[in-house]
Amino acid sequence: MAVSDIGRRLPVVADGPTDARAARSGVDESDLGYEHPLYKTMLAVPGLSVATGSLDQLLEWGMRNSLWVFPMATSCCGIELMAAAASRVDLDRMGTIVRATPRQSDVMVIAGTITVKMAPRVKALWDQMPEPKWAIAMGSCAISGDFYRNLYSVVPGIDTIIPVDVYIPGCPPNPEALMHGLLRLQEKIKARRHGKPVAAEPNPTLLDITRPSIGRFVDPSRDPALNEQQITSALEASSLDGSDEPKDGEAEPTIAEYEPVSIPGAQERAPELEAILAELGVTELPKDGAPIVAADRHYELARRLRAAGYRQLVYVVATHFAAKAGKAPSPERFEVAYALRTVGKGSRLAAWRVQLEPGQSVTSLVGVFAGADWQEREQFDLVGVRFDGHPDLRRIMLPETWEGHPLRKDFPADKACPPWR
Amino acid sequence: MSEDASEEKVELQSARRGRVDPHLSIKHYDPEADMMLLHFGPQHPSTHGVFRMDLHLDGEVVIKATPYLGFLHRAVEKLCEKLTYVQQTPIVDKNDYVAPMTNEQALNMAFEKIMNVEVPRRAKWLRVLLAELQRIASHLVALGTFTLDLGGALGGGSTLFLHCFREREMVLDLFEELTGARFHYNTHTIGGNRHDLPPGFDKKVRAVLDEIELRIPDYARMSVDNAIFRARTEGVGILDGELALELGITGPNLRGSGVDHDLRRDAPYAAYDELVPKVIVERGGDCWARTKVRFDEVAESIRLCRLALDGMPEGPINGYKAVRQPTQAKVAGGQVYVGIETPRGELGTFLIGGGDTPTAPYRLKIRSPSLHALSAIPYILPGFTVSDAVAILGSLDPIMGEVDR
Repeated sequence: MAVSDIGRRLPVVADGPTDARAARSGVDESDLGYEHPLYKTMLAVPGLSVATGSLDQLLEWGMRNSLWVFPMATSCCGIELMAAAASRVDLDRMGTIVRATPRQSDVMVIAGTITVKMAPRVKALWDQMPEPKWAIAMGSCAISGDFYRNLYSVVPGIDTIIPVDVYIPGCPPNPEALMHGLLRLQEKIKARRHGKPVAAEPNPTLLDITRPSIGRFVDPSRDPALNEQQITSALEASSLDGSDEPKDGEAEPTIAEYEPVSIPGAQERAPELEAILAELGVTELPKDGAPIVAADRHYELARRLRAAGYRQLVYVVATHFAAKAGKAPSPERFEVAYALRTVGKGSRLAAWRVQLEPGQSVTSLVGVFAGADWQEREQFDLVGVRFDGHPDLRRIMLPETWEGHPLRKDFPADKACPPWR
Repeated sequence: MSEDASEEKVELQSARRGRVDPHLSIKHYDPEADMMLLHFGPQHPSTHGVFRMDLHLDGEVVIKATPYLGFLHRAVEKLCEKLTYVQQTPIVDKNDYVAPMTNEQALNMAFEKIMNVEVPRRAKWLRVLLAELQRIASHLVALGTFTLDLGGALGGGSTLFLHCFREREMVLDLFEELTGARFHYNTHTIGGNRHDLPPGFDKKVRAVLDEIELRIPDYARMSVDNAIFRARTEGVGILDGELALELGITGPNLRGSGVDHDLRRDAPYAAYDELVPKVIVERGGDCWARTKVRFDEVAESIRLCRLALDGMPEGPINGYKAVRQPTQAKVAGGQVYVGIETPRGELGTFLIGGGDTPTAPYRLKIRSPSLHALSAIPYILPGFTVSDAVAILGSLDPIMGEVDR
């Protein structure tokens, strides 16, 4: 199956024509997805449609040959979408051009993974597109979530949110496959207008892989209340939220409280990490991994290392170690690893670790390295370690309303996040 | 407070003078200014993916920029804890989807280090060849999309975009012949590579390199030497070297700020101790300097590819047992960090092995250069116009799959 259509959004074709005019044009008016003013005029004047041929044909000819694409490109497939619009494949020759605004577009190409943070925005953008509109799910992430589908932050297929007309499998599909998908969409548009919809290919496995089970948008068993929830959530997300401003009574940000740091000259270059560690009273150097420093002393270590020429921040990694029973029992603990680097030839890495009890916090390094800001926010978000003295400790990857910290060992990887997954 | 400390404080203030404080609330700005809040993204063609900024504007000038991330958070690190070592290469391909080849290399090098696997010499040279070809393709995308940002989607800016993607397709064709995929190759494994060069491959590579080299002067006329391009990019988005280091920025963005640092030369891995690259440095720190670094690195990568083809040693391409089942690679414990120089900077893999399941990592953290590059946004955007904001974002060349993971 190269490209499969699931034509369940198509109108049900009536058994026989209910209206004489409809019989003349071959289309049951009541089943049209939309009403076109020209269409009514045409039908009102007797004989006009005969004189000009079928208006249906004219309209669908215009529709299918100027499919303007709205690129809902989030990841890898977006690059192939760009490649399809570029020199070799050149979608322009089909009358398909990429428009960056939903209000002027006919087709939404969902190219890439949709996350629970992005899903309300996609829904809002889809609702902004004027009818008639179509959706193409490009790539396995948009179709089903791919191998991310059982993870806490990924929507298991875009058709749990909006109705999809054409699915293009692949990871990512070639530009040629995207072109094939657009041609299939053209066929579908053509067939739709004469009461001959493209037959839906029943594919029960496609519906079964959803987990947690949200009905697909075209699924008759889908809960109508879910639609309401998704629309409400999308409206909330698309409203303006100047979340940066502090609320009344909230403490003002602490700007001037950072500790001073010296910018080292070449002559101040201290020899090595071990020497500074010895000064700080750390003499045990474990064989597997970096030396362990106390949570309140490591700020001083970072300062001195920076003065000694380790000027580049490399990483901040927090790890959650779950409590272990058995032969060698160990309590629950956290570990935060840092590393700095010297710049230039013979670059050296200085790494250390801080071990924490549950609930204990570690001194933030934002005062020494401005780059620790986002790194520590990420570790706070995903692991739940708190950093003392961080000026802006908020979630960075997950929505503000998220509960729990996903990289903890007791966090279920496939946690549900209604109404999106 | 001791005398030393107060001296330090004075020095700090002089070093950080003029630097924007990203945490300063908008309430502290001039209340008389006629300010407007502009939401930029997450769905915007110039944000290079799904990235959102709140821009506070005074007229057309940005006075405060607040970035928001996480719209493509796919939980890769959690997924890697669930999968075995052998299964992870195709997962990390999707992180930096413009340069997947170097992604899988960074991951597998960490696995090799924690498992003590020796990589044969031919595999090392092969990795250099593939990484440099990938660098060419990736920098072409960066250059093409950057000019697209400057020129508008339907304007003259799309000329170079079309040129760059034409040449990129040539490189992708090579990769397709080698691995069967245009991207998401899954060709690096623990201990070496999966696909050896097919017969006659080096002739094809040389032909592509010649073709691209021939067109570099054309690109230069359309971009870095072009008067309009220079007017749009020179003096825009200046990032000083000290701030760049403090933020952990690496790669062309750092070298554009005058810092002579490249892991390929400074901490050699694979075969870079034999194939020493010339490090391109520009002093301007502006959008033009960052683009110029990428531009010159294309020529340098072409040179390295030719050297790698000339001296490609014979021998096996994998030093580890062949993959027979997903659970065959086991690690008892230990912590490693490996960083390599990808087209975007230092891509690192921090790995803790062992735990309950010896076949899967206990913790795997990907240090992404794009995340660090984006963290410069609140510092360097204020003072420039909205159109410059697009240029600055494009010149940092972030890939959101790698930022959010």
